[in-house]
Amino acid sequence: MANKILVVDDDIDILEAISLLLKSEGYAVETTTKGEQTYNKVAAFKPDLILLDILMSGSDGRAICKKLKLDDTTKSIQIVMMSAHPGADIDSLNSGADGYIAKPFETKDLLKIIKHHLK
Amino acid sequence: MKKVFKYLNPLSHLGDRYYSWIFPFVANLVLCICSEVYAYSIAKNPMAVGVYIIFLNVAFIIYFAFREGIVGGFISTGVTIAYYFYIIYTRHYSGSQYTSGIDTTIILAILYFIIAFIIGTLKQQIDRLIDIQSDERKRLEAIIQQLPTGVIITDNTGTVTHINKQINKILGLKIPIGFKIGTDNITKVKINGDAIDPTQASTIYALTKGKSITGRDLLFERKDGTLAYLQVSSAPITNKKHKIIAAASIITDITQQKELERQKDDFLSMASHELKTPITSLKMFIDLQDKQIIEKDAKKVKYFNERIRDQANRLKELTNDLLDVSRIQTGKLAFNKEAFDIAEIVTDTVEGLQATTKRHKIEVESELKQIVQGDRYRIYQVLVNLLSNAIKYSPQGEKIIVRVKKIKQNVVVSVQDFGIGIEKSQQDKIFDRLYQVTDPEEKTFPGLGLGLYISKEIIERHKGKLWVESAKGKGSTFYFSLPITSKKGNI
Repeated sequence: MANKILVVDDDIDILEAISLLLKSEGYAVETTTKGEQTYNKVAAFKPDLILLDILMSGSDGRAICKKLKLDDTTKSIQIVMMSAHPGADIDSLNSGADGYIAKPFETKDLLKIIKHHLK
Repeated sequence: MKKVFKYLNPLSHLGDRYYSWIFPFVANLVLCICSEVYAYSIAKNPMAVGVYIIFLNVAFIIYFAFREGIVGGFISTGVTIAYYFYIIYTRHYSGSQYTSGIDTTIILAILYFIIAFIIGTLKQQIDRLIDIQSDERKRLEAIIQQLPTGVIITDNTGTVTHINKQINKILGLKIPIGFKIGTDNITKVKINGDAIDPTQASTIYALTKGKSITGRDLLFERKDGTLAYLQVSSAPITNKKHKIIAAASIITDITQQKELERQKDDFLSMASHELKTPITSLKMFIDLQDKQIIEKDAKKVKYFNERIRDQANRLKELTNDLLDVSRIQTGKLAFNKEAFDIAEIVTDTVEGLQATTKRHKIEVESELKQIVQGDRYRIYQVLVNLLSNAIKYSPQGEKIIVRVKKIKQNVVVSVQDFGIGIEKSQQDKIFDRLYQVTDPEEKTFPGLGLGLYISKEIIERHKGKLWVESAKGKGSTFYFSLPITSKKGNI
């Protein structure tokens, strides 16, 4: 069965591009632009990995990551955070994320990090 | 009485040099009359005045020459010599033997004039030096007071001799002249967060070490608790013998400069973030397009091309905004001038923006045709900005109302949303460069925070106004007015 990936980003264009790319690679993909909807999506979709943007309008990716990692039912989900802010890698790892990728990234690097965390 | 003493003091200056001849004249005359009264009425001997009068006369000449300058000395001498001739004349006719003194008197006269001239010249030189010194002091004082930076000058003990009013403003306290700067009263100064060793404080350092400190940045805590970034320079002042006689310190408040630097850094970081976002999707759409080399799905190729074009447009808009800000700051924002119907542009813009939102219904309430003069594209830019803001800041709202009204000689366009609203305290700041509204949970919104700054500049350059009415949680209404011109007007 295909691995399930949830992508959370406030930018619709990025969501669409990532979603199309991952689908073409054979993953099952769900997306949301609203950080607060992450928890509902996680509960319903049960993803194996979450690609989470760090700064989103409406919510803070770091807080979402912390909360998911504190919850016993969701803490095993791999979380890869992404951001265009320099220095955001430290923030991500501090909030318990499993991986980090800086925007703008190369498609092959994104696929590589996803594969790595889904092992 | 005080005036008399003041006058008698040879070093005091009465200031009115025009009458400087009166006092020596009257005083010497009184001396002569007293001598005559003494000789004829008290001593009853015409010769009683004797040679002792010469000492008194010389004393008077020296005194008045020093008091009133050459004029005073010459007047004294003149009256004295006239009196001597009067004595020779009166004593000659009284049959005395004191008639042979004409040649002596002439020698005395020459001597007196020489004394008066030397003392008078000396006095004038001293006066000139005092004047120069006082002028210098006034000039220095004026320069110090006019400097935009704070200046403190102390003597070699650290006692303040000169200080300007800027110091009080910068430090938030009043330092009086005579205040002694010592190691015990330098406490609230920090360099990079650490309290400074008082012996290293710049004025004290300059006085004790005899070395200058240039451009030292420090953080100063004012009495009221506010913090200021200061830049301090101090230098010792030495005399000819290389002995330290004073120290001059210059203090500049660089808080605003620091704040601008911070804003600039924030701006660059924000700009790079905003530019990276479309670049990220652009790269991915290109990679998706690459796959079509094999799949050869014409529909998908067309779609990805569109998406690539969208991202390129986003980048273009962002860079345009950044360029506009740069142009505004250098005063080079250019405008075209033409007459156009504002209502038509409003309708077109609303149509365009309606396509970008499914949640909101944008309604237009417009009064007929309203012709205004200006740059059609720039006004369109303002409308796009206000409408995108209305959409962005009313994520839960369903309606946006755009109104076009004629009020007196102006057309007023308003954009009303029912979103998060803006607190009263933030309402002025939102037109500043880089300012963005945050909501109660410190949520952030994407964007550079440049839109309103650019819009305000555009509207003001059209001789209009841009303002907002808003209440926290109840939405905002942005208004802009443009003058209605029947003739061609200038922007």
